[in-house]
Amino acid sequence: MFRRNGKKGNYAYTVARVKAKKSLLMKEEDYSKMMMMTVPEMSRYISETGYQKEMVDLAVRSSGLDLLEHATYTNMAKVFSTILEASEGELSDMLSAYLAKWDIWNMKVILRGKSYGLDANGIKEDLVPAGSLSAESLDKLIAIDSQEDIIAAFGKMAHVTFTPEVLAAQKAGINLEEIEDYLDKFYYTRLVNSVDTSSRPSLLFLNFVRQEIDLENLETILKLKVEGIRGDAVLKYIIPEGKHIDMKLAMQLANAESIEAMIPDLAGLDFYENIKDALPTANKSLLGVLAGLKGYAMQQAKKFSHLYPLSVIPVLDFMIHKENEVDNIRIIARGTESGLSKEEIKALLVI
Amino acid sequence: MAADIGTGLIAIGAGLAVGLTGLGAGMAEKDVGAAAVGAITEDQTLFGKAMIFMVLPETIVIFGLVIAIMAIFVM
Repeated sequence: MFRRNGKKGNYAYTVARVKAKKSLLMKEEDYSKMMMMTVPEMSRYISETGYQKEMVDLAVRSSGLDLLEHATYTNMAKVFSTILEASEGELSDMLSAYLAKWDIWNMKVILRGKSYGLDANGIKEDLVPAGSLSAESLDKLIAIDSQEDIIAAFGKMAHVTFTPEVLAAQKAGINLEEIEDYLDKFYYTRLVNSVDTSSRPSLLFLNFVRQEIDLENLETILKLKVEGIRGDAVLKYIIPEGKHIDMKLAMQLANAESIEAMIPDLAGLDFYENIKDALPTANKSLLGVLAGLKGYAMQQAKKFSHLYPLSVIPVLDFMIHKENEVDNIRIIARGTESGLSKEEIKALLVI
Repeated sequence: MAADIGTGLIAIGAGLAVGLTGLGAGMAEKDVGAAAVGAITEDQTLFGKAMIFMVLPETIVIFGLVIAIMAIFVM
């Protein structure tokens, strides 16, 4: 995939742009200020910090929390698309392969929306057209009625092949889990397999992706463990090709009696430091562990973007931080709206 | 005849000094320039700073030029 156009990427230009964009992202004090505000005040505040155009454009259609959420997603999609357009050669190939995760996200949103009977506007609010599928293509998918046809059309548009088992499972019941898990696995497997390991930039990218797979897998194992699911039932959700958590370790973790029993296996892993304080309380709430894992991913991206400034990592670093900013804004807005205390909201944020 | 060859070699040396440093500066400016344009695209107030970084590699050519002048006029 990365030899498609054979051109070296324009790293200097793209990285300078994302670094400039990153300097404009919200800081800790911005989040602290936002926690003191009501939702309309937050909307006004984020309008002043880079979301103005989306807030104005979408104000006709929605208001309040919906407007804020829709505007932040639209802005994120626009920013990612701008970066993708600005990049060239192998850099562009790597970024478009990475951004395909938003195609998967959009597909899940459409399928879920359809199954809950949402109208087109309701579905559109949660779409992030940052992947290879444009807003127009997504509109076409939304316009299709039956789930089978949506899946078939999506497969053609995003070059995703579905196995007969997944299609049969989807046809048999209304449960969407099977197809959603398949999409996640397909995305990562395709991403890992498509990386050309002969060049240094692609190797860095591969390492980064495999580490992301580790974090996804651990999250899955922990979530299922809290639900009391262990053993082989967990393994079918594991994405192969992780950096540290291979199938053997995944099996060990999946077979562990409880989250406490997983600690000796986890202690040797890089990200243990970030989650060790939250692990003992993970049975009650996984939020602390999940925030720790996300924090680790951000730290790593930041570290490697400094070590390899002219590579794909600084761009991915920005993308993770931008996504995190949008998540944080949404957490604060939703938390404030549902009456959570400042401390509770702060514990959910990843800064 | 011997003096003519010497003059010729000095001229070639001076040419190489300017030419090669020019190439070096060009290669350095490729990335600096791309990054500068990228930064200015995002924030136009960075133009002044970007300009300074942009001309820094030019100093290499000045060194080459000094050597060339020395070769021609001093040697």
